[in-house]
Amino acid sequence: MDLAIEVIKVVVVLFGVLNLAGLLTWVERKQSAVMQDRIGANRASILGIRAFGLFHPLADAAKLILKEDFIPEGGNKVLHTLAPFASLFFALLAFAAIPFGNILILDGKEINLQIANLNVGILYIFAMMSMGVYGVVLAGWSSNNKYSLLGGLRASSQMISYEITMGVSIMGIIMVYNSLDLQEIVRRQGELLWGFIPKWGVITQPLACLLFMTAIIAETKRIPFDLPEGESEIIGYFTEYSGMKFGMFFMTDFVETVLAAALMTTLFFGGWQIPYVHGNSLTIVILQVLAFTLKVIFFCWFFMLIRWTLPRFRYDQLMRLGWKMMLPLSLANIFVTGLVILLWN
Amino acid sequence: MRKEELTFWEQIYIPQIYEGLKVTARHFFKNMKGHIARLLGKPVKDDETVTIQYPEERRPLSPRLRSLHRLVKRADGTPRCVACMMCETICPARCIYIVAAEHPNPDIEKRPARFDIDLGKCVFCGYCVEACPEDAIRMDTGILEFAAYTRQDMIYTMERLLANEPMKITSQGQRL
Amino acid sequence: MPTLTIDGKEITVEKGTTIIQAAEKLGIEIPRYCYHPGLSIAGNCRMCLVEIEKSPKLQISCYTQAADGMVVHTTSEKVKAVRRAILEFLLINHPVDCPVCDQAGECWLQIYYMEHGLYNSRFMENKVRKHFKATPIGPWVNLDSERCILCSRCVRFTSEITKTYELALVNRGDHSEITIFPGKELNNKYSGNVVDICPVGALTDRDFRFQCRVWYLDKQESICPGCSRGCNIEIHYNVQRAHHAGGRRVLRLKPRFNPEVNKWWICDEGRYGYKFIDDKSRIQMPYLQEGEVLVETDWKVVLDKVASTLRSILTTYGTESIGVIASPQLTNEDLYLIRKLFVEDLRLPHVDFKVPVKEKGYEDDFLIKADKNPNTRGAEELGLGAKEGSLNVENMLEAAIAGRLKALYVFGHDLTNFFGEEKIKDIASRLELLVFQGSNLNPTGQYAHVILPSATYAEKDGTFTNFEGRVQRIYKAVEPLGESLPDWEIIVKLARFMGFSYPYQSAREIFKEIATVIPAFNGLSYKVIGNQGAKLATA
Ligand code: SF4
Ligand code: SF4
Ligand code: SF4
Ligand code: SF4
Repeated sequence: MDLAIEVIKVVVVLFGVLNLAGLLTWVERKQSAVMQDRIGANRASILGIRAFGLFHPLADAAKLILKEDFIPEGGNKVLHTLAPFASLFFALLAFAAIPFGNILILDGKEINLQIANLNVGILYIFAMMSMGVYGVVLAGWSSNNKYSLLGGLRASSQMISYEITMGVSIMGIIMVYNSLDLQEIVRRQGELLWGFIPKWGVITQPLACLLFMTAIIAETKRIPFDLPEGESEIIGYFTEYSGMKFGMFFMTDFVETVLAAALMTTLFFGGWQIPYVHGNSLTIVILQVLAFTLKVIFFCWFFMLIRWTLPRFRYDQLMRLGWKMMLPLSLANIFVTGLVILLWN
Repeated sequence: MRKEELTFWEQIYIPQIYEGLKVTARHFFKNMKGHIARLLGKPVKDDETVTIQYPEERRPLSPRLRSLHRLVKRADGTPRCVACMMCETICPARCIYIVAAEHPNPDIEKRPARFDIDLGKCVFCGYCVEACPEDAIRMDTGILEFAAYTRQDMIYTMERLLANEPMKITSQGQRL
Repeated sequence: MPTLTIDGKEITVEKGTTIIQAAEKLGIEIPRYCYHPGLSIAGNCRMCLVEIEKSPKLQISCYTQAADGMVVHTTSEKVKAVRRAILEFLLINHPVDCPVCDQAGECWLQIYYMEHGLYNSRFMENKVRKHFKATPIGPWVNLDSERCILCSRCVRFTSEITKTYELALVNRGDHSEITIFPGKELNNKYSGNVVDICPVGALTDRDFRFQCRVWYLDKQESICPGCSRGCNIEIHYNVQRAHHAGGRRVLRLKPRFNPEVNKWWICDEGRYGYKFIDDKSRIQMPYLQEGEVLVETDWKVVLDKVASTLRSILTTYGTESIGVIASPQLTNEDLYLIRKLFVEDLRLPHVDFKVPVKEKGYEDDFLIKADKNPNTRGAEELGLGAKEGSLNVENMLEAAIAGRLKALYVFGHDLTNFFGEEKIKDIASRLELLVFQGSNLNPTGQYAHVILPSATYAEKDGTFTNFEGRVQRIYKAVEPLGESLPDWEIIVKLARFMGFSYPYQSAREIFKEIATVIPAFNGLSYKVIGNQGAKLATA
């Protein structure tokens, strides 16, 4: 019974995440189109039905699966194959610690709407995201291509740099909510400040919120931080990838976007919390899961909006921003937070 | 290159990002409204979408457009061209290949035995049309889609050029 | 010796010089249509009118003789206005069908209109139509009487130069036109020249008709190889636009003025004798006989074969067993190297160049010579003819049948013409080596064991010596076709395979040596020869 519940939870989360990621490829095109006064992809059709281009992801998938899987001469076959799997695997694994709903009480049974209730959930997520670097580095290295290697190196140095800011900026949250358990952090965000303001992360830690968002966009390697890939101009670590293996990197991109949105929601926007609504009844829990989903979707949209608004940084600007601005700011944030907490009590 | 000095406000970057997001978001919502209205069959207001659904919808072609060449026919269907080679001479891409031959009518005297244009090389400058003393070659077919799978197919022979018809133009300048 | 002033420049000229000639000496060109220095003066086109001070009316400069103290203006407003008016007159009934006119691009109506005309036509009436439109009037010439400006150059040519009187001007006023006597053809040995002297597109060349636009043509100076006169010519060729004229490169020959040789003229034989240059019969690759057939191969193989066979014949049978038949179609430079290799270095006694011909060629007292070779004199001066005690061509063939001759090296000749195909076939089967070196395949070449492709005169530099000992220069116009090479280059290569190293890089270097080694050529060089030729020291 317990196992069945666990399996259902895993399936639901994976189903949700993967579908959302798949959908995001469509959203990406359509949203950019709408923002740029275009219509966007709408030609793929099944039996003459176009469905606003919703079949494009399907067509893409079919194309990617049917394409030749190319491994460059002199490349390391094993690692070359492993790299995209590593990328996608760790990105998906991170979702295990994300709480997508309150503890549901059904027939007196407590069901925690979170796959793995880890008391150090937040550290687990960071660990998983850090592991993602391996996929990137391995891909660059195993391609036996100088440009890929350089792309991989760019990617890893970028990810490591921004991980520090990300980690440090989150310290404020941990201090405020006094927990490393994400479910606990979300629950504490349900409390009210002065009796009427929801105690969301963004209220208590606005600076951390900004820093974290910036860092996590950098982590997902999307514009304006897309130097590792640099799509058409600077050539990145998956240059030598084709077919479904390329598809997996592509997928990782969107899974990471969903992850970033989920983390933003969880840490700063009250997770599944609906302000002023509390309880464990089925209706309320369903509403909360819905709220969580909506918040995640909003952030996905918001990240896209940023992605299609800002131009790319130069590499030195990227490094300066990471080390000289965001890191000191996030450190300062810890001290200020500490001070405020001291004085408060 | 002149470098813009940034003010402090601009240097913090965040307000600027906010301004940028405002612009893009405005477009997003405005257009989204339009799309939804269209979907519901409601009148669409201030929609800024400019896309033209190409193969079905087309932009009106200017009557002055330089499109695929054609050779003008005489009443009997033979080319009006007299193989004077003015076009071949002026052509900067050197993509016109004419071979002249005797015309049975001594008043016409000369005719093209071969008249090939290699459109794979043509730069669509229209000089050939300008140069022709007989108004025998024109670029008014309105045909713009003539991509081919082989280089050979890009070579338009006299027969193919004679088969091309001029585009019909409505009073609004619309191509039919 | 009158001294006159033309456009402010003073000049003293021979008595009897006309103003147009005096102006030419000063580098002033007075426009003209009917005037041609090689023909009598007609004075009917009025294009050359000039203003002479103290003379009430404008005078035609082609007829007016220079007088002492004359002051002539060729570009005064009055002169210009008259020129414009005359052009307008000439063009009144002119069809201006330049698009289909072969003359376009080298038409003196077009040229003068752009220089002196540039008026807008005022003529509204219908043009008078004439009788001939695109009508062949002879084997080489096409007449379009509408385009004729009635300059009568062609009429004067047929009456003064060829004295054949085929053409005439008939009718009066705007109905006058050029015509050919009924039932007659413009068919004389020099008929092509009327095309050159016709300033407009009235007389055009049937051979060149619609082959190519004249502005696609490049030009190179050369000498006609048609007979021992050595008329000066220009080779007009098209290599830029290969689709014209079925890919032929040399498209026409034009006479080049040389007062000592051919004046302004050439004969039709020479004019239309260029076709072999791009003919199907051109040999483009070296060939080697294998079994019964000739197969394509490369230079290394054939040269190696020729050199080694000649060497082995020399060691087994001696120098008496090899015959060389050089050709008076070759340049002095080619012949000199043949002499150097075969006569001087290999010490072969049997070298000749004179192949008997069936019947004596046509000859007249104007240009055409009976000897149809351009360089017989050169070959003689270089000592390539049969000498005392050596076999001439006829005897060489006899010796070959008798088995005394083992190898024969033929340059370009078609021996079957005189000796018959059977005989040559027989000889080829008896010989150990029959080499044919030439530009076009002929029946003799067909029986050869080895064929070496050589360049034509249009594809190489060199000199010809004409019958009166005038050495004249030919220049390379087009690249040798296929793998073919100038004959001298082939000899240089063959010599290397035979163990001699000849240092020549160009025909010029060879001629330098000829000028020092052969007494008759002493004092000559390409510079001295120039483009008008120079006589041999002995001539
Ligand atoms: S359009 Fe220009 S390039 Fe094309 S054929 Fe005409 S002249 Fe040549
Ligand atoms: S310019 Fe006109 S008449 Fe002349 S060849 Fe070209 S198409 Fe023909
Ligand atoms: S003769 Fe001269 S002007 Fe007359 S049609 Fe020919 S090219 Fe034109
Ligand atoms: S045909 Fe030519 S050369 Fe003869 S009269 Fe006419 S224009 Fe002069």
